[in-house]
Amino acid sequence: MKEAMDRILRREAYSSRAPLSIIAAIVIGLLAVYGLLEAMLRVLRQPPWLLDPPVAARWIADLPHGVSSTLLGVIGAVVVLLGLVALANALLPGRRARHVIPDPRVAVVVDDEVIASALARRARTVAGVTREQVMVVVSRAAVQVNIRPTSGIRLAEEAIRAAVQAEVDAMVLDPRPAVRVQVGQSGVIGV
Amino acid sequence: MNGTPRGLNRFLLALIGVVLVAAGGLLIALATVPAVGRWWRDWAHPAVDSLTALAQRTRVAGGGSWVWIVVAVVMVLVALGMVGWIAGQGKGRSGTLSSHAGGEDAMDDDGGAPGTVVLGSAVAEQALKSALLERGDLLGVSVASYDMRGRAGIKVRVLPRQGVAPHEVAAAVSALVNALDGLLGVQIPVLVSIGQGARARFTKVERVR
Repeated sequence: MKEAMDRILRREAYSSRAPLSIIAAIVIGLLAVYGLLEAMLRVLRQPPWLLDPPVAARWIADLPHGVSSTLLGVIGAVVVLLGLVALANALLPGRRARHVIPDPRVAVVVDDEVIASALARRARTVAGVTREQVMVVVSRAAVQVNIRPTSGIRLAEEAIRAAVQAEVDAMVLDPRPAVRVQVGQSGVIGV
Repeated sequence: MNGTPRGLNRFLLALIGVVLVAAGGLLIALATVPAVGRWWRDWAHPAVDSLTALAQRTRVAGGGSWVWIVVAVVMVLVALGMVGWIAGQGKGRSGTLSSHAGGEDAMDDDGGAPGTVVLGSAVAEQALKSALLERGDLLGVSVASYDMRGRAGIKVRVLPRQGVAPHEVAAAVSALVNALDGLLGVQIPVLVSIGQGARARFTKVERVR
């Protein structure tokens, strides 16, 4: 039970790389089917459909000739770029923007968006401002609360900080983020 | 939670990435450095010639060369491999929560009666889903059960309204799961994933203004 939960939480913390894998598999699969078609046409001694494989191989062997070097360079750059995208997907950790809430019975993961909107609501009710005046950014180790005050009304920065901190403490997030509150220098009018 | 082959995904993507970077790098070098072009033709021309010669030599009666049959078989294998790779993504949904075979030991709870009791996933899925959908602060709930290395696990994805405290949702689901444990008589690993769906972004924050 315990190790099953730990394994689930470990897997939920990282991206599975499924979307790019599916795209890559579809592209390679289609290329293979096309190659199969041309190979079968050769076996059956039929004329090629789009490209005769030996002609194509000879064209590739001749390469700097027959194509403008600019075009060849651009194609090469695009291919390198695609390769780097695939490599980055394979090698970067791909950590998801999520936190874990410890619970004795179930494994709980929360998307950072949800945490941010809960904290924004708390900050908004304490500060007495509208939705649009509060922006909360939640990252792995930090919560940044940006509030723009209503023009002419001073905000109790410490009270807001304490309220948001209390809410973060109540969530018992893992990893535990530090709270920073930033009250904007300019006020908002017409709210 | 699901059985997506993550290691395989990363390995194959790395392989594809290395091949593409190498091929693209060669193309750029061919376009810019004349010496590389000479080296490439010196290497590629004999290779293509020997391949063509092989295809000529291995011609079978009434058809092309068997080299092309080999190529066709390899292409079929590659295509099948790719289909298998796609099929592995997100697999692992299961229909059984637990199964208990009786008739082995007369001292068991079942008194040694022969037969098997199978709990379907729909029991837990529908119980959790209907209980959670009664809550007003949740916009969406989906419950699915997966097969994790031979044992069942349940994934509960809840999409609360904007501003709902996630730990309260988590505590509520935890209490429900505890109740479900009592109902089923078996403990099943449960993952609660709290997220924000597209609908939460466009609906009103408070239900009562």
